[in-house]
Amino acid sequence: MSTSAQVVPVAAGVDRRRYWLDREGVLGPLLLLPTVVYIIALVGFPLVLAVLYSVSDATVGDQSLDFVGLRNFRAAIGDGTFRVALRNTVAFTLVSQLIVMLLANLLALVLSADFHGKRLVRFLVMLPWTTPVALGVLGWLWTLDNVYSPIDYAFRQMGLLGPSIGPLRVDNPVSDVVRWLGLGSVFGTGSNVLWLAQPALAQLSVLLVHVWRTLPLATVILLAGLTAIPQDVKDAANVDGAGFFRQLFYIRIPLLLPIMAVAFLYGIVFTFTDMTIPFILTNRGGPVDSTQVLASWAFIKGIEGGSLGEGAAVAIFLFPVMAGVAALMLRLARRTETS
Amino acid sequence: MREDELRRMATRPATRRTLLKGAGAAGLAAALSPISRAAAGTGTATLVQTAPTRNISGTRLNILLWSHFVPRHDVWYDQFVAEWGQANGVETKVDHINTADVPTAIAAELGAGEGHDMIEHLASLAQYEKSMLDLTDVVEEANRRHGPQLEMAKRNSFNPTTNAYFGFCHGFAPDPGNYRRSLWEVVGMPNGPTSWDELRAGGAQIKAEQGVQMGLGMSNEVDSRMAAQTAMWAFGAAIQDANENVTINSPETIAAVEYMAALFKEAMTPEVFGWNAASNNQLLVAGRASYILNSISAYRTAQKDQAETGEDIYFTAPIVGPAGPSGALAHGHAVFIDMIPQHSPNADTAKEFLLHLVANYAQATEQSEVYNFPAWPTTVPMLQQEGGWLDVDPYGSVPPDKLAVLKTANEWTTNLGHPGPANAALGEIFNLPLLPNMMARAAQGQQTAQESVAQAEQEVNEIFAKWRAEGLIGGGQ
Repeated sequence: MSTSAQVVPVAAGVDRRRYWLDREGVLGPLLLLPTVVYIIALVGFPLVLAVLYSVSDATVGDQSLDFVGLRNFRAAIGDGTFRVALRNTVAFTLVSQLIVMLLANLLALVLSADFHGKRLVRFLVMLPWTTPVALGVLGWLWTLDNVYSPIDYAFRQMGLLGPSIGPLRVDNPVSDVVRWLGLGSVFGTGSNVLWLAQPALAQLSVLLVHVWRTLPLATVILLAGLTAIPQDVKDAANVDGAGFFRQLFYIRIPLLLPIMAVAFLYGIVFTFTDMTIPFILTNRGGPVDSTQVLASWAFIKGIEGGSLGEGAAVAIFLFPVMAGVAALMLRLARRTETS
Repeated sequence: MREDELRRMATRPATRRTLLKGAGAAGLAAALSPISRAAAGTGTATLVQTAPTRNISGTRLNILLWSHFVPRHDVWYDQFVAEWGQANGVETKVDHINTADVPTAIAAELGAGEGHDMIEHLASLAQYEKSMLDLTDVVEEANRRHGPQLEMAKRNSFNPTTNAYFGFCHGFAPDPGNYRRSLWEVVGMPNGPTSWDELRAGGAQIKAEQGVQMGLGMSNEVDSRMAAQTAMWAFGAAIQDANENVTINSPETIAAVEYMAALFKEAMTPEVFGWNAASNNQLLVAGRASYILNSISAYRTAQKDQAETGEDIYFTAPIVGPAGPSGALAHGHAVFIDMIPQHSPNADTAKEFLLHLVANYAQATEQSEVYNFPAWPTTVPMLQQEGGWLDVDPYGSVPPDKLAVLKTANEWTTNLGHPGPANAALGEIFNLPLLPNMMARAAQGQQTAQESVAQAEQEVNEIFAKWRAEGLIGGGQ
């Protein structure tokens, strides 16, 4: 008697739970809840806080929020460094991603072919993506160092850099050939190119590292797209006698366009919001702010300078672009679902 | 009295009698210690235990400290803190981080409302005043024990508008000119340049004839900011006046910018636009700079790593510019300022430690290889006295009096924001690339000196207006 009295409530409890969990209206929100909490805590809350900071006089030393309207935005727009940072952010993003798209297509084509050592090459191509960005940029910092750059050393040894007369002139068979070709000291007569000290070269260096950093992801995405092209389409093209370029422009690229758009948008997100590269490589956006970007300027102004409100206002300028990119990505995803 | 007795005494709650005993013992210990031998350049400074005036036993002290440029200092400091903690029943912990990361760490801790009990940076950070404790009581106590604090140290840590000490400045590192004697001998200046005119003429000649450049940075780093400020003072220019009104757009600033642009073209290379804080040190140690503005840390590195170059490095006091001797000034290359956040539950412990640190500043100076100069000069008498550490360098300079030029450092070292105080606006300006960019834009030919100064003025005005609205700076007088 007592046993059955204990069993009945347990069974009833299980049934009740099963009843609720079987209802889609309950289970769905329940499963989504962790994601929603995550997004609210780590994306929504900081975003709201950033907006509040941007219209307040908050500083690092006094984080109380006194409303100042659009003062911080006006100050940001009136600031020459902000305008340079905005221009650089857009330029670095677009130029680097256009280069990435070009190179990723080439790399994906190469890596989709069969050849010895393909796995090793794929591993090497992926390496920059798997390396922590700060570590990778430190490597580039040493590679492009104004004094100890190994690239400069190689150029000097080849006679491409350094004086062509005097005791510092380097003489060896390679440099002799280089000079005979009229390329002696083509990179200057100084002992270093000064990659990170001259505005144009520093900008080029930042672009180079952006490309190096985001190329692997784009390549892998395009590689996946290439392998997804139905074999019968390729076979039909071969039977019809379509050559490499005809297949490339009439089959591969059109079929790859949606996936290319995904890779492009991911690249934009990573490049547009990056501050690590100018922060480490060019010592906080130097020389003379020529590599300053919105993310690094927001950090320098808001955190290092202590003006949280102004820093937040600068960072808010990233939002419209990011929101636009996110909307495009969602649209693409919906199209893919529909198709 | 023996050290262990001093320590025992230090752990007891303080009374007037114990305080007097402590002070007497400290004096005796100082008199009998090997410091007197150190004055001749051979000895070591002895620990002086200070009896706490508050009951701090059972508390904790977490310190965030910038990584000192002389590694020996940090080894000593950690041990010094631990020993003090043991003697007073305080659990201690010291974290060292790169100096460039200190403002970020402060921002994070103030945002979180928790973190270290005491934070030390190498520059004035008045912009954090509202979240820091007023340390007037500790400064006044230190003044009572050791005599007046250096005016420069006070002006780097005291806000006359709010009448509060937002920080506790216990010392500084002088910022002399570092020059290579062998290079300057060739151009007829064996004692280095004495004026900005000589600097330009000699630097240009050295670069042209000996292929060695000069190293005054124009980049987003602290040494470049100091070099720009030093040049401005020499030309009679300043960011603000004594009443905290913006004065940067002046004929004197324009002249300074024009001078730096010319100096760059004649005596430097574009390398200076891409420097970090260590770059001018590296250039000097590598034997590739004729003159830099820096503390003695670069020289100490050269002494150890490039002895020949080290022997060739000599120092000059700030050189004279159009403003005359009164403008021949320098920042403290590093100004050691401790701040206690309001969220610290161990503020009393931190204050007691600061008093202990000041009482033992001879150790700090010695263990930093004579890098740290005291804000209370009486605490390290062996530094500047005749035959003291600056006359006979305990770390083996050849000649032994190579550092003697620093004996006048207290006279020519001034505060951030001179002729005004180091305020919140200056703190922000000094964390931004504003001044080096002003110089660099003209040097690169992006703008004329007038245009560049006008842009800097606009940026400075906005920063001043913001902090004035916060009630942290004066002005308008």
